[in-house]
Amino acid sequence: MSDAAAAHDHGHDDHHGAPAGWRRWVYSTNHKDIGTLYLVAAMVSVLIGGVFSFMIRLELQSPGLQYIEDLQFYNVLVTAHGFVMVFFFVMPALIGGFGNWFIPLMIGAPDMAFPRMNNISFWLLVVGLLLLMTSALVAGGAGTGWTVYPPLSNATFHSGAAVDFAILSLHVAGASSILGAINFITTIMNMRAPGMTYHRMPLFIWAMLVTALLLLLALPVLAGALTMLLTDRNFGTTFFEASGGGDPIFWQHLFWFFGHPEVYIMIVPAFGVISHVVSTFSRKPVFGYLGMAYAMAAIGFIGFIVWAHHMFTVGFNVETRAYFVLATMVIAVPTGVKIFSWLATMWGGSIEFRTPMLYAMGFIFLFVVGGVTGITLANAGVDIAFHDTYFVIAHFHYVLSIAAAFGILSGFFYWFPKMCGKMYNEGLGKIQFWLMFIGVNILFFPQHFSGMAGMPRRIPDYPEAYAGWNFVSSIGAYISFAASLLFFYIVIQTLRSGEKAPANPWGEGATTLEWQVPSPAPFHTHDQTPDMRPQPAE
Amino acid sequence: MSAGRQIPRRRRGGNRATALSLWVFVAGMVGLAFAAEPLYRTFCQITGFGGTTRTADAAPRGMADKLITVQFDANVNIQLPWRFRPVQSNVKLKPGQEALVFYEATNLSDKPVVGTAVFNVAPFKAGPYFNKIQCFCFTEQVLKPGESVVMPVTFFVDPDMAADANTADVSTITLSYTFYAADDQSKAARIQADRGAPSAASDSKS
Repeated sequence: MSDAAAAHDHGHDDHHGAPAGWRRWVYSTNHKDIGTLYLVAAMVSVLIGGVFSFMIRLELQSPGLQYIEDLQFYNVLVTAHGFVMVFFFVMPALIGGFGNWFIPLMIGAPDMAFPRMNNISFWLLVVGLLLLMTSALVAGGAGTGWTVYPPLSNATFHSGAAVDFAILSLHVAGASSILGAINFITTIMNMRAPGMTYHRMPLFIWAMLVTALLLLLALPVLAGALTMLLTDRNFGTTFFEASGGGDPIFWQHLFWFFGHPEVYIMIVPAFGVISHVVSTFSRKPVFGYLGMAYAMAAIGFIGFIVWAHHMFTVGFNVETRAYFVLATMVIAVPTGVKIFSWLATMWGGSIEFRTPMLYAMGFIFLFVVGGVTGITLANAGVDIAFHDTYFVIAHFHYVLSIAAAFGILSGFFYWFPKMCGKMYNEGLGKIQFWLMFIGVNILFFPQHFSGMAGMPRRIPDYPEAYAGWNFVSSIGAYISFAASLLFFYIVIQTLRSGEKAPANPWGEGATTLEWQVPSPAPFHTHDQTPDMRPQPAE
Repeated sequence: MSAGRQIPRRRRGGNRATALSLWVFVAGMVGLAFAAEPLYRTFCQITGFGGTTRTADAAPRGMADKLITVQFDANVNIQLPWRFRPVQSNVKLKPGQEALVFYEATNLSDKPVVGTAVFNVAPFKAGPYFNKIQCFCFTEQVLKPGESVVMPVTFFVDPDMAADANTADVSTITLSYTFYAADDQSKAARIQADRGAPSAASDSKS
């Protein structure tokens, strides 16, 4: 079929099997193994971050201080929960995990462009997680919130090494993501199978390309800002110190110039996953392919010009606020294109309600709820009233925590048979979905009410008036926690005793290249580049 | 997949070129993050954005007819052992009219200290129209132990402010100063050395 010389060009390294034992994982340059490592790291992180949020909800279940006497400890919990979930759960799962596994499989490449760089990306992430845990354990911990605003994060108010460790942790995690992004972009640009033009790439590849570009442009700004904070704290610079002519608002600008694209970094890969799942289980090609692809590109672009809507309370003049309100609302347009295209894909389709599809539909519902409150908060006047209340907590948990998590779970159930070669128990999967769906909604929906009533975020105590909905919210947290445990049970049960999965368990709807290789995907795939060129006329 | 067709060979070295150009992006964004600081400062000084006041060499031409109130606010950073207050709490003047006001600072400690002030006006939109001709904030102040100084500020409000639809409603402007211990305490150290006592410069700012 293809000439052997082309394959031999890559050297004999490509053709040995998987090395045995710990060396296979520690020294791994195989995209599937590294993808698996990322997914395992994400699962460990979600347990850590989940326990933190469990402790927060336990404390907030009733008014007064029950379990947490040390208020700085509460601040540390809130901060660590945010960091762990954002940088060590959602990003590694969606980007490092699914990206590494399925970019080469879907574009017909034998591996990533830079396999060794891929290895260092992963292990830097582990170092980042360890540094973050260290930060929580030294000098009272970093209680700055995930936004690390000075002056709270400066040397006066966090004098110990905790914030320095947190900064280093983000530096290292950021470096890991930048390396990963360069790897992804290079792979997608240069290593697609012949015939797979940009306009014929699967939407997950489009999503990963947009995400990687966002990472490449946003993370260096965070790195710069963190470096300035580090030198402010330790070497007497005054970037964010008014006494030396600096400005703490400058931090907020830099942080949110990174932070807003960051929320799209967490959700755009999920968009890609959902498009595949919806199309597969509706047995229809996705509606409006090009619109879907360019909607993601548009969301990514607009994501860089709306950052100040996170800082409406700092005292902008009315023109600045008007611009950021308008630009923020414009995001609803490409987002609406995506939502309606998913619905149009389902419309008239032969829908099969398997677990991944349930999660995809759950994702669409949650993302719409969070999107609508996002439009609410985009109004500067409303935002000034709701700033730092639980309404904001409810909004961003709907979009970037539970919607992103539903995207991850949808993708996980969808691709798990391909990754491990075994089928999960469909009945248990559906129970797990409903438990999770009910749990997260009971958990987060009442927080809209608490927030509108004025309950501030990041405070472990509250007046009696907020007790009712907080109790409901905590019950939701326990249901969600149970659903998470059930998820881990399903993973273990599938790995131990799942039925053998066929190459394509989902039928004719699953059309992308990963379903043409056996399940589990062998150590080396696409040794012979698939030919995606249109058939020539005879 | 069609059997028998030649698969085009992948270009070698293409990956490296792509990765290198992506690294340029990364370096550029880090550079922009750091460049943002001087750019933002320059932008504020040119446009008066965020309540940045202007400096002027000469008195204004013309005068608006509206009477506005300028209030004076004084703050001291917790690490600076000074008392600092405006001599007058406010003045009423017409835009275009030059005013001379005073602030008074007293060193309450038993060591000489160098202080510098930062300043701003509220509302921010009045910033571009607030011109200072002479101001103690332009230089460092050294106060000996117990010394008290009265510091002048000469300013005017640009008469164009009344004509600008965006700022026509401004009837009160607050000029605010905050004194900090200066990073460079060498002047205080010199005075201390002249007095023959050990320098206190180092412990005035931690």
